[in-house]
Amino acid sequence: MTTQLNLKEIERKAFRSTYQDGLWDIYLGLVVEGMAIFIYRPASGYSAMNIIIALLVFALAYGIFWVGKKYITVPRLGQVTFGKIRKRKNTTLAIILGVFVLILAVLVAVTTFGWASPAIISSFINDRIKGLVFVAAICAFIVGASMIVRVNFMDFPRGYYISILIAMAVFLMISLNQPIYPILLGGLIIIPGLVLFIRFLKKYPLHRKETIHE
Amino acid sequence: MSKTSENPDLTGLADLDKLVHEPARLAVMSLLYVIERADFTFLMNQTGLTWGNLSTHLSKLEKAGYIKVEKSFKGKRPSTTLCLTSQGREIFHEYVIKMKKIFQDIPG
Repeated sequence: MTTQLNLKEIERKAFRSTYQDGLWDIYLGLVVEGMAIFIYRPASGYSAMNIIIALLVFALAYGIFWVGKKYITVPRLGQVTFGKIRKRKNTTLAIILGVFVLILAVLVAVTTFGWASPAIISSFINDRIKGLVFVAAICAFIVGASMIVRVNFMDFPRGYYISILIAMAVFLMISLNQPIYPILLGGLIIIPGLVLFIRFLKKYPLHRKETIHE
Repeated sequence: MSKTSENPDLTGLADLDKLVHEPARLAVMSLLYVIERADFTFLMNQTGLTWGNLSTHLSKLEKAGYIKVEKSFKGKRPSTTLCLTSQGREIFHEYVIKMKKIFQDIPG
């Protein structure tokens, strides 16, 4: 039994070592920053500029993640392919996340429709503020729950902390419509990521080319 | 108390595959057993072995037919990918069972 547990531990340790670079933290933190811009409704009215800037931030976040993994992490940490159990977990995760995204898309559509036609919303909830808090709570719950499911499948312990911050960011953004809060919360995700990234660079220096091939 | 616990059977120790039983190679085999494949750098980081040491152990395991070594180029960078062969997987599995049995047989 002990042997079995140790082998599991070896696999888990190897798997979790891929999170040492902090790139997931930086990526998710930047996604929160993008989300802040995407959800923000300026007094002048919601414009296409929100969407364009948010998409640029999302693209930047993914770009940093992809370039970092390919050109910084892999040459230092090495490349690894995990077994069938991890692959099966990924497939299950993709299905569950698909369902969450669908629910969230419906919620976003309903909320947008409600903002466009306040009369319809007021027929369900009399107070607009209460309505906003209600929508914010539901969206935060869906986003938080989907993130927790995701980090659980990803075997990413720091992800629980990130999930809570993301759920808080969604709640504050929708209920208060102040981008500063999610931007600050995004910063609280990015900063530990940057610290981990610097530590990773120090711990795993780049091997010289001639020492790679044996 | 059973007879096995009173007279632990240690003859199994002599049957252990010595190629796998060596600590550094055991670390490599364990790691490759739980993952599908990995490159040289990953193994080096995970096992804490030096380049030369790991290379020597890998050569022995490859010669025995326990691991498969694939050499390729990723752009201009040389890359060495390693995985267990079906024989290597079987040998390691047997080794684990034998070790488990030995420690079960030892009382206390």
